[in-house]
Amino acid sequence: MIAETALTSPEDPADGLAAVVALRRLADRLEDAEVERALRAGWSWSQVAEALGVTRQAVHKKHHKRVAAAGGGRGGRN
Amino acid sequence: MFERFDHDARRAVVRAAEREAAELGSSTIQAEHLLLALAGDPSTATGALLAAEGLDRAGVLQALERETERSLAAVGVGLADVVPPVPATPARRRRPFGASAKSALHRAVMAAVAREDRRITRAHLLLGLLRADRGTVPRALAAAGVDRGALAAGTERLLG
Repeated sequence: MIAETALTSPEDPADGLAAVVALRRLADRLEDAEVERALRAGWSWSQVAEALGVTRQAVHKKHHKRVAAAGGGRGGRN
Repeated sequence: MFERFDHDARRAVVRAAEREAAELGSSTIQAEHLLLALAGDPSTATGALLAAEGLDRAGVLQALERETERSLAAVGVGLADVVPPVPATPARRRRPFGASAKSALHRAVMAAVAREDRRITRAHLLLGLLRADRGTVPRALAAAGVDRGALAAGTERLLG
């Protein structure tokens, strides 16, 4: 997903910093979508957490309300 | 600082900005969500002013997308490669203001103070957004070819 030239540093720091912001924004959106998808596919919170390299508490706290509102996943605390 | 905002500016704009943040998958309300909120109501003077610059809600969204694309391209990442395939369900929970939104609100207050206006309206908020030199909003406006200074002058004329 990243160009073969890998991440390059633009000349203007404003562009580099804006890229950081844009990547964070995309990473957040991607995380929301993928966590929801994994839970719908039957993954447990623990498995999602392990895959993301964070604690189960952290991923549950961040996503459980949204996923519950979407009616997806197991909804439990497993 | 919020008590100085008039009823309309506070309730309608913040609620709309929160909706925009949710829709864009942001956990905080940022300046661009406030701009979308202002642009999203063409029945208001600020909404009409923005629309006249091509910045109705769709126009702002397009400008933001262009800004994202440009910023990512600067480090060699293509937007099409990284956009999540399945849109996540937006949460309905309350969102805190992010730093860029706080700065815009602060600048709106400063604009009102400088003009000795008692109430802070949508136009003051737009001024606050337009007076940021750095960040997503000025970059998006530049990407859309909008003259930020001229737009600010137009906004000041709205205030009389």
